[in-house]
Amino acid sequence: MSLAAEAFVSQIAAAEPWPENAILYQPLREDQILLSDCASSLAVQAYLRMLGLPVRVQCRANAEYMSPSGKVPFIHVGNQVVSELGPIVQFTRAKGHSLSDGLDDVQRAEMKAYMELVNNMLLTAELYIQWCDENTAAEITRPRYSSPYSWPLNHILAYQKQWEVRRKMSAIGWAGKTLEQVYEDVSQCCQALSQRLGTQPFFFNKQPTELDALVFGHLFTILTTRLTTDELSEKIKSYSNLLSFCRRIEQTYFESQDRDSQLGASDYSKGPSLM
Amino acid sequence: MAAPIELFCWKGSWGLPSVDTDSLIVLAYARFAGTPLKVHKISNPWRSPTGSLPALKTKEDGSFSQPSKIIIQLRKQKYNADYDLSAKEGADALAFISLLEEKLMPALIYALWVDPKNYAEVTRRWYAENISFPLNFFLPSRMQGQQLERVRLMWGNSTLEAGEEAEKELYADALECMNLLSQRLGSNRFFFGDSPSSLDAYVFGHLAPLLKIRLPSSRLQQQLKALDNLTKFCSNILSLYFPDESQEGRSQPTSRVQEGSDFDHEPYKRHKQLLSVLVAVAAMLGYALLSGIVAIEHVKEERSTGNSSIEPPDEEEA
Repeated sequence: MSLAAEAFVSQIAAAEPWPENAILYQPLREDQILLSDCASSLAVQAYLRMLGLPVRVQCRANAEYMSPSGKVPFIHVGNQVVSELGPIVQFTRAKGHSLSDGLDDVQRAEMKAYMELVNNMLLTAELYIQWCDENTAAEITRPRYSSPYSWPLNHILAYQKQWEVRRKMSAIGWAGKTLEQVYEDVSQCCQALSQRLGTQPFFFNKQPTELDALVFGHLFTILTTRLTTDELSEKIKSYSNLLSFCRRIEQTYFESQDRDSQLGASDYSKGPSLM
Repeated sequence: MAAPIELFCWKGSWGLPSVDTDSLIVLAYARFAGTPLKVHKISNPWRSPTGSLPALKTKEDGSFSQPSKIIIQLRKQKYNADYDLSAKEGADALAFISLLEEKLMPALIYALWVDPKNYAEVTRRWYAENISFPLNFFLPSRMQGQQLERVRLMWGNSTLEAGEEAEKELYADALECMNLLSQRLGSNRFFFGDSPSSLDAYVFGHLAPLLKIRLPSSRLQQQLKALDNLTKFCSNILSLYFPDESQEGRSQPTSRVQEGSDFDHEPYKRHKQLLSVLVAVAAMLGYALLSGIVAIEHVKEERSTGNSSIEPPDEEEA
Protein backbone atom coordinates (compact mmCIF):
# COMPACT_ATOMS: atom_id res chain seq x y z
CA MET A 1 0.00 0.00 0.00
CA SER A 2 1.47 3.33 -0.99
CA LEU A 3 1.87 6.13 1.49
CA ALA A 4 -0.71 8.35 -0.14
CA ALA A 5 -3.22 5.53 -0.13
CA GLU A 6 -2.31 4.80 3.46
CA ALA A 7 -2.96 8.36 4.58
CA PHE A 8 -6.24 8.33 2.68
CA VAL A 9 -7.29 5.03 4.22
CA SER A 10 -6.46 6.10 7.73
CA GLN A 11 -8.47 9.30 7.30
CA ILE A 12 -11.53 7.51 6.04
CA ALA A 13 -11.07 4.55 8.32
CA ALA A 14 -11.15 6.67 11.42
CA ALA A 15 -14.56 8.00 10.50
CA GLU A 16 -16.31 4.68 10.06
CA PRO A 17 -16.81 2.04 12.73
CA TRP A 18 -16.01 -1.61 12.01
CA PRO A 19 -18.92 -3.02 10.02
CA GLU A 20 -20.63 -6.33 10.68
CA ASN A 21 -20.09 -7.63 7.19
CA ALA A 22 -16.29 -7.56 6.97
CA ILE A 23 -14.92 -10.38 4.82
CA LEU A 24 -11.54 -12.08 4.80
CA TYR A 25 -10.55 -13.73 1.54
CA GLN A 26 -8.16 -16.66 1.31
CA PRO A 27 -7.53 -19.50 -1.17
CA LEU A 28 -9.63 -22.71 -1.06
CA ARG A 29 -9.14 -24.35 2.31
CA GLU A 30 -9.34 -28.00 1.36
CA ASP A 31 -7.60 -28.31 -1.97
CA GLN A 32 -5.60 -25.23 -2.67
CA ILE A 33 -4.18 -23.22 0.23
CA LEU A 34 -0.48 -23.65 0.98
CA LEU A 35 1.21 -23.80 4.34
CA SER A 36 2.61 -20.27 4.20
CA ASP A 37 -0.65 -18.66 3.01
CA CYS A 38 -2.63 -20.63 5.55
CA ALA A 39 -0.30 -19.41 8.31
CA SER A 40 -0.64 -15.76 7.24
CA SER A 41 -4.41 -16.08 6.97
CA LEU A 42 -4.69 -17.68 10.40
CA ALA A 43 -2.52 -14.94 11.88
CA VAL A 44 -4.89 -12.26 10.58
CA GLN A 45 -7.93 -14.18 11.83
CA ALA A 46 -6.35 -14.58 15.26
CA TYR A 47 -5.52 -10.88 15.33
CA LEU A 48 -9.06 -9.82 14.50
CA ARG A 49 -10.50 -12.28 17.01
CA MET A 50 -8.20 -10.91 19.71
CA LEU A 51 -9.60 -7.47 18.98
CA GLY A 52 -13.11 -8.87 18.96
CA LEU A 53 -13.78 -7.65 15.44
CA PRO A 54 -16.11 -9.94 13.48
CA VAL A 55 -14.98 -11.15 10.08
CA ARG A 56 -16.39 -13.78 7.75
CA VAL A 57 -13.93 -16.03 5.92
CA GLN A 58 -14.50 -16.55 2.22
CA CYS A 59 -12.48 -19.00 0.18
CA ARG A 60 -11.82 -18.06 -3.42
CA ALA A 61 -9.68 -19.91 -5.90
CA ASN A 62 -8.37 -16.62 -7.28
CA ALA A 63 -7.79 -14.90 -3.94
CA GLU A 64 -4.16 -14.28 -4.81
CA TYR A 65 -5.18 -12.33 -7.92
CA MET A 66 -7.92 -10.41 -6.11
CA SER A 67 -5.52 -9.09 -3.49
CA PRO A 68 -4.18 -5.57 -4.05
CA SER A 69 -0.62 -6.63 -3.15
CA GLY A 70 -0.79 -10.08 -4.74
CA LYS A 71 -0.52 -11.69 -1.33
CA VAL A 72 -3.16 -13.42 0.74
CA PRO A 73 -5.07 -12.98 2.95
CA PHE A 74 -6.83 -9.67 2.48
CA ILE A 75 -9.86 -8.18 4.16
CA HIS A 76 -12.72 -6.30 2.62
CA VAL A 77 -14.11 -3.82 5.13
CA GLY A 78 -16.70 -1.28 4.04
CA ASN A 79 -15.21 0.32 0.94
CA GLN A 80 -11.65 -0.71 1.64
CA VAL A 81 -9.47 -3.66 0.77
CA VAL A 82 -6.35 -4.24 2.88
CA SER A 83 -3.92 -7.13 2.54
CA GLU A 84 -1.37 -8.74 4.87
CA LEU A 85 -1.03 -8.48 8.63
CA GLY A 86 1.16 -5.35 8.83
CA PRO A 87 -1.18 -3.03 6.90
CA ILE A 88 -4.22 -4.63 8.56
CA VAL A 89 -2.76 -3.77 11.97
CA GLN A 90 -2.34 -0.15 10.85
CA PHE A 91 -5.83 -0.14 9.43
CA THR A 92 -7.46 -1.35 12.64
CA ARG A 93 -5.39 1.10 14.68
CA ALA A 94 -6.73 3.92 12.54
CA LYS A 95 -10.21 2.72 13.45
CA GLY A 96 -9.28 2.85 17.11
CA HIS A 97 -8.68 -0.86 17.71
CA SER A 98 -5.20 -1.77 18.84
CA LEU A 99 -3.58 -4.52 20.88
CA SER A 100 -0.23 -2.86 21.47
CA ASP A 101 -1.21 0.49 23.00
CA GLY A 102 -0.29 -0.68 26.47
CA LEU A 103 3.36 -1.31 25.57
CA ASP A 104 6.18 1.11 26.28
CA ASP A 105 8.69 2.14 23.62
CA VAL A 106 11.23 -0.59 24.27
CA GLN A 107 8.54 -3.27 24.35
CA ARG A 108 7.10 -2.01 21.09
CA ALA A 109 10.56 -2.13 19.53
CA GLU A 110 10.97 -5.70 20.74
CA MET A 111 7.55 -6.69 19.47
CA LYS A 112 8.35 -5.35 16.00
CA ALA A 113 11.71 -7.11 16.05
CA TYR A 114 10.19 -10.47 16.94
CA MET A 115 7.56 -10.06 14.24
CA GLU A 116 10.35 -9.56 11.73
CA LEU A 117 12.09 -12.62 13.15
CA VAL A 118 9.00 -14.69 12.35
CA ASN A 119 8.76 -13.21 8.86
CA ASN A 120 12.47 -13.48 8.20
CA MET A 121 12.98 -17.03 9.38
CA LEU A 122 9.72 -18.97 9.77
CA LEU A 123 7.93 -17.60 6.74
CA THR A 124 11.02 -17.88 4.56
CA ALA A 125 11.60 -21.43 5.77
CA GLU A 126 8.01 -22.33 4.94
CA LEU A 127 8.44 -20.91 1.44
CA TYR A 128 11.73 -22.74 1.04
CA ILE A 129 10.28 -26.10 2.07
CA GLN A 130 7.22 -25.62 -0.12
CA TRP A 131 8.93 -24.58 -3.30
CA CYS A 132 12.63 -25.44 -3.11
CA ASP A 133 12.46 -28.93 -1.65
CA GLU A 134 11.69 -30.89 -4.81
CA ASN A 135 9.82 -33.68 -3.01
CA THR A 136 7.42 -31.31 -1.30
CA ALA A 137 7.07 -29.17 -4.42
CA ALA A 138 6.20 -32.14 -6.64
CA GLU A 139 3.95 -34.01 -4.22
CA ILE A 140 2.14 -31.21 -2.43
CA THR A 141 2.86 -27.66 -3.49
CA ARG A 142 2.49 -27.67 -7.27
CA PRO A 143 -0.60 -29.93 -7.37
CA ARG A 144 -2.33 -27.94 -4.65
CA TYR A 145 -1.34 -24.53 -5.99
CA SER A 146 -2.64 -25.34 -9.45
CA SER A 147 -5.69 -27.40 -8.43
CA PRO A 148 -8.32 -24.89 -9.65
CA TYR A 149 -6.85 -24.64 -13.13
CA SER A 150 -6.98 -27.01 -16.07
CA TRP A 151 -4.15 -28.17 -18.29
CA PRO A 152 -1.91 -26.46 -19.45
CA LEU A 153 -2.49 -23.42 -17.26
CA ASN A 154 -1.95 -25.42 -14.08
CA HIS A 155 1.61 -26.29 -15.03
CA ILE A 156 2.44 -22.85 -16.30
CA LEU A 157 1.23 -21.07 -13.17
CA ALA A 158 2.80 -23.53 -10.75
CA TYR A 159 6.21 -23.42 -12.39
CA GLN A 160 6.03 -19.66 -12.76
CA LYS A 161 5.39 -19.31 -9.04
CA GLN A 162 8.13 -21.78 -8.20
CA TRP A 163 10.59 -19.89 -10.37
CA GLU A 164 9.65 -16.63 -8.68
CA VAL A 165 10.13 -18.04 -5.17
CA ARG A 166 13.45 -19.61 -6.11
CA ARG A 167 14.69 -16.30 -7.49
CA LYS A 168 13.77 -14.68 -4.21
CA MET A 169 15.62 -17.37 -2.29
CA SER A 170 18.78 -16.83 -4.31
CA ALA A 171 18.52 -13.07 -3.88
CA ILE A 172 18.39 -13.34 -0.09
CA GLY A 173 21.12 -15.98 0.04
CA TRP A 174 18.94 -18.96 0.90
CA ALA A 175 19.40 -20.79 -2.39
CA GLY A 176 22.60 -22.46 -1.25
CA LYS A 177 21.05 -23.80 1.93
CA THR A 178 20.28 -27.46 2.38
CA LEU A 179 17.04 -28.70 3.87
CA GLU A 180 18.88 -29.56 7.09
CA GLN A 181 20.17 -26.00 7.41
CA VAL A 182 16.65 -24.66 6.96
CA TYR A 183 15.34 -26.96 9.69
CA GLU A 184 18.21 -25.74 11.83
CA ASP A 185 17.10 -22.14 11.23
CA VAL A 186 13.52 -23.00 12.17
CA SER A 187 14.82 -24.60 15.32
CA GLN A 188 16.86 -21.51 16.15
CA CYS A 189 13.86 -19.27 15.58
CA CYS A 190 11.62 -21.45 17.77
CA GLN A 191 14.23 -21.47 20.47
CA ALA A 192 14.36 -17.68 20.43
CA LEU A 193 10.56 -17.47 20.60
CA SER A 194 10.44 -20.03 23.38
CA GLN A 195 13.06 -18.14 25.39
CA ARG A 196 11.23 -14.90 24.94
CA LEU A 197 7.88 -16.38 25.92
CA GLY A 198 9.23 -18.15 29.00
CA THR A 199 6.41 -18.96 31.37
CA GLN A 200 4.22 -15.98 30.48
CA PRO A 201 0.79 -16.55 28.99
CA PHE A 202 1.54 -14.15 26.11
CA PHE A 203 4.70 -12.58 24.76
CA PHE A 204 4.10 -9.37 26.65
CA ASN A 205 2.63 -10.83 29.78
CA LYS A 206 -1.14 -10.75 30.25
CA GLN A 207 -2.37 -9.12 27.08
CA PRO A 208 -2.05 -10.57 23.58
CA THR A 209 -0.47 -8.40 20.86
CA GLU A 210 -0.16 -8.74 17.12
CA LEU A 211 3.05 -10.69 17.74
CA ASP A 212 1.04 -13.38 19.53
CA ALA A 213 -1.35 -13.57 16.59
CA LEU A 214 1.50 -13.89 14.11
CA VAL A 215 3.38 -16.55 16.07
CA PHE A 216 0.17 -18.48 16.66
CA GLY A 217 -0.72 -18.39 12.96
CA HIS A 218 2.59 -19.86 11.91
CA LEU A 219 3.18 -22.40 14.66
CA PHE A 220 -0.38 -23.69 14.68
CA THR A 221 -0.40 -24.12 10.92
CA ILE A 222 2.91 -25.95 10.93
CA LEU A 223 1.71 -28.22 13.73
CA THR A 224 -1.54 -29.14 12.01
CA THR A 225 -0.41 -29.45 8.39
CA ARG A 226 0.85 -32.71 7.00
CA LEU A 227 3.89 -32.44 4.75
CA THR A 228 6.02 -35.16 3.19
CA THR A 229 7.89 -35.52 6.45
CA ASP A 230 6.90 -34.26 9.88
CA GLU A 231 10.38 -32.94 10.63
CA LEU A 232 9.18 -29.33 10.60
CA SER A 233 6.46 -29.87 13.21
CA GLU A 234 8.82 -32.01 15.30
CA LYS A 235 11.08 -28.96 15.62
CA ILE A 236 8.27 -27.04 17.28
CA LYS A 237 7.06 -29.92 19.41
CA SER A 238 10.30 -29.92 21.36
CA TYR A 239 9.32 -26.57 22.91
CA SER A 240 6.55 -27.29 25.37
CA ASN A 241 5.79 -23.68 26.22
CA LEU A 242 5.17 -22.88 22.54
CA LEU A 243 2.79 -25.83 22.31
CA SER A 244 0.78 -24.76 25.31
CA PHE A 245 0.82 -21.19 23.97
CA CYS A 246 -0.83 -22.43 20.76
CA ARG A 247 -3.41 -24.43 22.72
CA ARG A 248 -4.18 -21.46 24.93
CA ILE A 249 -4.86 -19.14 22.01
CA GLU A 250 -6.85 -21.80 20.19
CA GLN A 251 -9.07 -22.36 23.21
CA THR A 252 -9.46 -18.71 24.16
CA TYR A 253 -10.05 -17.18 20.77
CA PHE A 254 -11.30 -19.92 18.50
CA GLU A 255 -13.13 -22.65 20.38
CA SER A 256 -14.87 -20.63 23.09
CA GLN A 257 -15.82 -17.82 20.71
CA ASP A 258 -17.22 -20.26 18.22
CA ARG A 259 -19.18 -22.05 20.91
CA ASP A 260 -20.54 -18.77 22.27
CA SER A 261 -21.74 -17.46 18.99
CA GLN A 262 -22.95 -20.85 17.75
CA LEU A 263 -21.32 -20.25 14.44
CA GLY A 264 -20.66 -23.87 13.77
CA ALA A 265 -18.44 -25.41 11.18
CA SER A 266 -19.10 -23.07 8.30
CA ASP A 267 -17.20 -20.17 9.82
CA TYR A 268 -14.80 -22.30 11.76
CA SER A 269 -12.05 -21.60 9.39
CA LYS A 270 -9.01 -22.71 11.25
CA GLY A 271 -9.15 -26.30 10.09
CA PRO A 272 -7.92 -29.15 12.25
CA SER A 273 -7.48 -28.72 15.96
CA LEU A 274 -4.53 -29.40 18.20
CA MET A 275 -6.42 -31.42 20.76
CA MET B 1 48.46 -20.80 18.74
CA ALA B 2 48.91 -20.13 15.10
CA ALA B 3 45.82 -18.60 13.58
CA PRO B 4 45.20 -20.13 10.18
CA ILE B 5 42.03 -18.07 9.70
CA GLU B 6 42.07 -15.60 6.85
CA LEU B 7 39.41 -13.02 6.14
CA PHE B 8 38.89 -11.42 2.75
CA CYS B 9 36.79 -8.27 2.66
CA TRP B 10 36.18 -5.08 0.71
CA LYS B 11 38.68 -2.39 1.48
CA GLY B 12 37.77 0.74 3.36
CA SER B 13 37.31 4.39 2.59
CA TRP B 14 35.70 7.47 4.14
CA GLY B 15 37.21 6.50 7.50
CA LEU B 16 35.45 3.14 7.49
CA PRO B 17 37.36 -0.13 7.86
CA SER B 18 35.35 -1.40 4.88
CA VAL B 19 32.75 0.14 2.60
CA ASP B 20 30.57 -2.94 2.46
CA THR B 21 27.95 -3.73 5.12
CA ASP B 22 28.58 -7.47 5.23
CA SER B 23 32.34 -6.97 5.48
CA LEU B 24 31.84 -4.43 8.25
CA ILE B 25 29.66 -6.84 10.23
CA VAL B 26 32.26 -9.58 10.06
CA LEU B 27 35.17 -7.27 10.84
CA ALA B 28 33.38 -5.77 13.82
CA TYR B 29 32.33 -9.16 15.15
CA ALA B 30 35.88 -10.48 14.86
CA ARG B 31 37.22 -7.47 16.73
CA PHE B 32 34.56 -7.79 19.44
CA ALA B 33 35.40 -11.46 19.95
CA GLY B 34 39.15 -10.78 19.84
CA THR B 35 39.76 -13.14 16.94
CA PRO B 36 43.31 -13.17 15.58
CA LEU B 37 42.68 -12.86 11.86
CA LYS B 38 44.77 -12.31 8.82
CA VAL B 39 42.68 -9.69 7.06
CA HIS B 40 43.04 -9.15 3.33
CA LYS B 41 41.39 -5.90 2.37
CA ILE B 42 40.98 -6.21 -1.36
CA SER B 43 38.86 -4.72 -4.09
CA ASN B 44 38.53 -7.66 -6.40
CA PRO B 45 35.87 -10.16 -5.43
CA TRP B 46 37.35 -12.67 -7.89
CA ARG B 47 40.40 -12.99 -5.67
CA SER B 48 38.33 -14.23 -2.75
CA PRO B 49 38.21 -18.01 -2.25
CA THR B 50 34.43 -18.06 -2.66
CA GLY B 51 34.17 -15.51 -5.45
CA SER B 52 32.37 -12.98 -3.28
CA LEU B 53 33.24 -10.72 -0.39
CA PRO B 54 33.50 -11.05 2.57
CA ALA B 55 34.92 -14.56 2.78
CA LEU B 56 36.46 -16.48 5.63
CA LYS B 57 39.06 -19.10 4.78
CA THR B 58 39.72 -21.78 7.37
CA LYS B 59 42.06 -24.68 7.05
CA GLU B 60 39.72 -27.36 8.31
CA ASP B 61 36.30 -26.44 7.00
CA GLY B 62 36.88 -24.56 3.76
CA SER B 63 35.54 -21.11 2.98
CA PHE B 64 32.37 -19.25 3.92
CA SER B 65 30.80 -16.15 2.53
CA GLN B 66 27.67 -15.01 4.33
CA PRO B 67 28.14 -13.03 7.55
CA SER B 68 25.87 -15.35 9.52
CA LYS B 69 27.88 -18.38 8.42
CA ILE B 70 31.17 -16.65 9.13
CA ILE B 71 30.00 -15.75 12.62
CA ILE B 72 28.94 -19.36 13.27
CA GLN B 73 32.36 -20.48 12.08
CA LEU B 74 34.13 -18.02 14.39
CA ARG B 75 31.98 -19.26 17.25
CA LYS B 76 33.06 -22.80 16.51
CA GLN B 77 36.65 -21.64 16.91
CA LYS B 78 35.69 -20.38 20.38
CA TYR B 79 35.62 -16.71 19.42
CA ASN B 80 32.20 -15.81 20.71
CA ALA B 81 31.16 -12.24 21.33
CA ASP B 82 27.76 -13.42 22.58
CA TYR B 83 29.17 -15.56 25.34
CA ASP B 84 27.88 -13.30 28.11
CA LEU B 85 24.35 -13.00 26.78
CA SER B 86 21.52 -14.75 28.58
CA ALA B 87 19.27 -17.00 26.51
CA LYS B 88 16.64 -14.28 26.36
CA GLU B 89 19.16 -11.68 25.25
CA GLY B 90 20.38 -14.06 22.58
CA ALA B 91 16.79 -14.35 21.36
CA ASP B 92 16.45 -10.56 21.35
CA ALA B 93 19.65 -10.26 19.33
CA LEU B 94 18.32 -12.67 16.72
CA ALA B 95 15.04 -10.76 16.53
CA PHE B 96 16.68 -7.37 16.07
CA ILE B 97 19.01 -8.76 13.42
CA SER B 98 15.92 -9.91 11.52
CA LEU B 99 14.43 -6.44 11.93
CA LEU B 100 17.57 -4.91 10.40
CA GLU B 101 17.57 -7.31 7.47
CA GLU B 102 13.90 -6.86 6.69
CA LYS B 103 13.46 -3.14 7.23
CA LEU B 104 16.78 -1.31 7.04
CA MET B 105 18.66 -3.38 4.47
CA PRO B 106 16.34 -2.55 1.52
CA ALA B 107 16.57 1.18 2.25
CA LEU B 108 20.34 1.01 2.59
CA ILE B 109 20.64 -0.78 -0.75
CA TYR B 110 18.30 1.79 -2.26
CA ALA B 111 20.34 4.71 -0.94
CA LEU B 112 23.64 3.32 -2.23
CA TRP B 113 22.73 1.40 -5.37
CA VAL B 114 19.34 2.49 -6.70
CA ASP B 115 19.16 6.22 -6.06
CA PRO B 116 20.52 7.48 -9.39
CA LYS B 117 22.50 10.42 -8.04
CA ASN B 118 24.15 8.51 -5.23
CA TYR B 119 24.92 5.56 -7.45
CA ALA B 120 26.47 7.59 -10.24
CA GLU B 121 28.42 10.03 -8.10
CA VAL B 122 29.49 7.87 -5.18
CA THR B 123 28.93 4.13 -5.38
CA ARG B 124 29.77 3.41 -8.99
CA ARG B 125 32.61 5.87 -8.90
CA TRP B 126 34.16 4.28 -5.82
CA TYR B 127 33.90 0.76 -7.16
CA ALA B 128 35.06 1.74 -10.63
CA GLU B 129 38.12 3.46 -9.19
CA ASN B 130 39.01 0.69 -6.81
CA ILE B 131 38.36 -2.41 -8.84
CA SER B 132 41.26 -3.21 -11.12
CA PHE B 133 41.26 -2.44 -14.84
CA PRO B 134 39.24 -4.79 -16.98
CA LEU B 135 36.78 -5.71 -14.21
CA ASN B 136 35.90 -2.13 -13.34
CA PHE B 137 33.98 -1.75 -16.59
CA PHE B 138 31.32 -4.31 -15.82
CA LEU B 139 31.51 -5.34 -12.16
CA PRO B 140 29.88 -2.19 -10.70
CA SER B 141 26.89 -2.41 -13.00
CA ARG B 142 26.60 -6.13 -12.42
CA MET B 143 26.65 -5.55 -8.68
CA GLN B 144 23.98 -2.91 -9.10
CA GLY B 145 21.84 -5.36 -11.02
CA GLN B 146 22.11 -7.90 -8.23
CA GLN B 147 21.31 -5.38 -5.52
CA LEU B 148 18.34 -4.02 -7.43
CA GLU B 149 17.01 -7.54 -7.93
CA ARG B 150 17.41 -8.18 -4.22
CA VAL B 151 15.41 -5.10 -3.22
CA ARG B 152 12.73 -5.90 -5.77
CA LEU B 153 12.31 -9.47 -4.59
CA MET B 154 12.40 -8.55 -0.91
CA TRP B 155 9.86 -5.86 -1.54
CA GLY B 156 7.73 -8.25 -3.56
CA ASN B 157 7.45 -5.66 -6.29
CA SER B 158 9.06 -6.55 -9.57
CA THR B 159 8.65 -3.11 -11.08
CA LEU B 160 10.40 -1.10 -8.39
CA GLU B 161 12.18 1.84 -9.95
CA ALA B 162 14.13 4.67 -8.49
CA GLY B 163 11.61 7.34 -7.70
CA GLU B 164 9.68 9.27 -5.13
CA GLU B 165 7.22 6.58 -4.19
CA ALA B 166 9.66 3.71 -3.73
CA GLU B 167 12.00 5.96 -1.80
CA LYS B 168 9.23 7.12 0.51
CA GLU B 169 8.07 3.61 1.30
CA LEU B 170 11.53 2.16 1.85
CA TYR B 171 12.71 5.12 3.88
CA ALA B 172 9.59 5.11 6.04
CA ASP B 173 10.34 1.51 7.02
CA ALA B 174 13.99 2.32 7.60
CA LEU B 175 13.15 5.33 9.74
CA GLU B 176 10.82 3.23 11.85
CA CYS B 177 13.55 0.62 12.23
CA MET B 178 16.13 3.21 13.26
CA ASN B 179 13.71 4.71 15.78
CA LEU B 180 13.06 1.27 17.26
CA LEU B 181 16.79 0.63 17.50
CA SER B 182 17.35 3.98 19.10
CA GLN B 183 14.64 3.28 21.66
CA ARG B 184 16.06 -0.15 22.39
CA LEU B 185 19.58 1.22 22.78
CA GLY B 186 18.49 4.05 25.05
CA SER B 187 21.47 5.49 26.89
CA ASN B 188 23.41 2.21 26.95
CA ARG B 189 26.83 1.98 25.44
CA PHE B 190 26.02 -1.26 23.65
CA PHE B 191 22.74 -3.10 23.11
CA PHE B 192 23.33 -5.56 25.92
CA GLY B 193 25.23 -3.65 28.58
CA ASP B 194 28.92 -2.89 28.49
CA SER B 195 30.33 -5.38 26.04
CA PRO B 196 29.43 -5.60 22.36
CA SER B 197 27.60 -8.59 20.85
CA SER B 198 26.71 -9.83 17.39
CA LEU B 199 23.73 -7.47 17.34
CA ASP B 200 26.09 -4.52 17.84
CA ALA B 201 28.15 -5.76 14.91
CA TYR B 202 25.07 -5.94 12.67
CA VAL B 203 23.79 -2.51 13.69
CA PHE B 204 27.23 -1.03 13.18
CA GLY B 205 27.55 -2.66 9.76
CA HIS B 206 24.24 -1.21 8.62
CA LEU B 207 24.53 2.28 10.10
CA ALA B 208 28.21 3.16 9.77
CA PRO B 209 28.17 3.41 5.94
CA LEU B 210 25.16 5.71 6.15
CA LEU B 211 26.95 7.92 8.64
CA LYS B 212 30.32 8.10 6.95
CA ILE B 213 29.78 8.00 3.21
CA ARG B 214 28.99 11.44 1.87
CA LEU B 215 25.97 11.02 -0.38
CA PRO B 216 24.54 13.76 -2.60
CA SER B 217 20.93 12.87 -1.82
CA SER B 218 21.02 12.29 1.86
CA ARG B 219 17.51 12.10 3.26
CA LEU B 220 18.10 8.81 5.04
CA GLN B 221 21.42 10.07 6.39
CA GLN B 222 19.85 13.15 7.88
CA GLN B 223 17.22 11.04 9.55
CA LEU B 224 19.92 8.87 11.09
CA LYS B 225 21.98 11.85 12.21
CA ALA B 226 18.99 13.13 14.16
CA LEU B 227 19.19 10.04 16.38
CA ASP B 228 22.04 11.02 18.68
CA ASN B 229 22.51 7.78 20.55
CA LEU B 230 22.87 5.75 17.35
CA THR B 231 25.44 8.11 15.83
CA LYS B 232 27.35 8.09 19.10
CA PHE B 233 27.13 4.31 19.18
CA CYS B 234 28.76 4.06 15.73
CA SER B 235 31.52 6.57 16.35
CA ASN B 236 32.20 4.85 19.66
CA ILE B 237 32.77 1.51 17.97
CA LEU B 238 34.90 3.14 15.29
CA SER B 239 37.20 4.81 17.78
CA LEU B 240 37.35 1.88 20.22
CA TYR B 241 37.71 -1.04 17.85
CA PHE B 242 39.06 0.51 14.67
CA PRO B 243 41.40 3.24 15.95
CA ASP B 244 43.64 3.26 12.85
CA GLU B 245 40.74 3.71 10.45
CA SER B 246 39.06 6.51 12.32
CA GLN B 247 42.36 8.37 12.62
CA GLU B 248 43.02 7.85 8.99
CA GLY B 249 39.59 9.20 8.23
CA ARG B 250 40.21 12.24 10.38
CA SER B 251 43.74 13.14 9.38
CA GLN B 252 43.61 12.41 5.70
CA PRO B 253 40.31 13.56 4.39
CA THR B 254 41.62 16.65 2.64
CA SER B 255 44.62 14.96 1.08
CA ARG B 256 42.45 12.02 0.07
CA VAL B 257 39.86 14.16 -1.60
CA GLN B 258 42.51 16.04 -3.54
CA GLU B 259 44.33 12.90 -4.44
CA GLY B 260 41.00 11.50 -5.46
CA SER B 261 40.03 14.34 -7.72
CA ASP B 262 43.38 14.32 -9.51
CA PHE B 263 43.59 10.62 -9.70
CA ASP B 264 40.02 9.99 -10.65
CA HIS B 265 40.13 11.39 -14.11
CA GLU B 266 43.55 10.03 -14.90
CA PRO B 267 42.63 6.40 -15.65
CA TYR B 268 39.47 7.45 -17.47
CA LYS B 269 41.51 9.78 -19.66
CA ARG B 270 43.99 7.08 -20.53
CA HIS B 271 41.21 4.60 -21.27
CA LYS B 272 39.48 7.10 -23.50
CA GLN B 273 42.69 7.88 -25.37
CA LEU B 274 43.40 4.21 -25.83
CA LEU B 275 39.88 3.57 -26.99
CA SER B 276 39.88 6.41 -29.53
CA VAL B 277 43.23 5.30 -30.96
CA LEU B 278 41.89 1.78 -31.33
CA VAL B 279 38.73 2.99 -33.04
CA ALA B 280 40.76 5.17 -35.44
CA VAL B 281 43.11 2.33 -36.33
CA ALA B 282 40.20 -0.01 -36.88
CA ALA B 283 38.47 2.52 -39.15
CA MET B 284 41.60 3.10 -41.23
CA LEU B 285 42.26 -0.58 -41.63
CA GLY B 286 38.66 -1.18 -42.57
CA TYR B 287 38.78 1.51 -45.23
CA ALA B 288 42.06 0.20 -46.56
CA LEU B 289 40.67 -3.30 -46.82
CA LEU B 290 37.39 -2.29 -48.45
CA SER B 291 38.91 -0.02 -51.03
CA GLY B 292 41.52 -2.60 -51.95
CA ILE B 293 44.64 -0.68 -50.97
CA VAL B 294 45.63 -3.62 -48.94
CA ALA B 295 44.46 -7.04 -49.91
CA ILE B 296 44.73 -10.25 -48.07
CA GLU B 297 45.43 -13.22 -50.18
CA HIS B 298 45.00 -16.68 -49.02
CA VAL B 299 48.02 -18.57 -50.19
CA LYS B 300 47.33 -22.19 -49.91
CA GLU B 301 50.27 -24.15 -48.83
CA GLU B 302 50.32 -27.26 -50.79
CA ARG B 303 51.30 -30.13 -48.71
CA SER B 304 51.91 -33.31 -50.48
CA THR B 305 52.29 -36.64 -48.91
CA GLY B 306 55.22 -38.89 -49.36
CA ASN B 307 58.32 -37.88 -51.29
CA SER B 308 56.73 -35.85 -54.03
CA SER B 309 58.99 -33.68 -56.08
CA ILE B 310 59.50 -30.02 -55.25
CA GLU B 311 57.41 -27.84 -57.48
CA PRO B 312 59.12 -25.57 -59.92
CA PRO B 313 59.85 -22.14 -58.45
CA ASP B 314 58.27 -20.16 -61.31
CA GLU B 315 54.78 -21.37 -60.35
CA GLU B 316 55.04 -19.73 -56.97
CA GLU B 317 56.03 -16.41 -58.47
CA ALA B 318 53.20 -16.36 -60.96
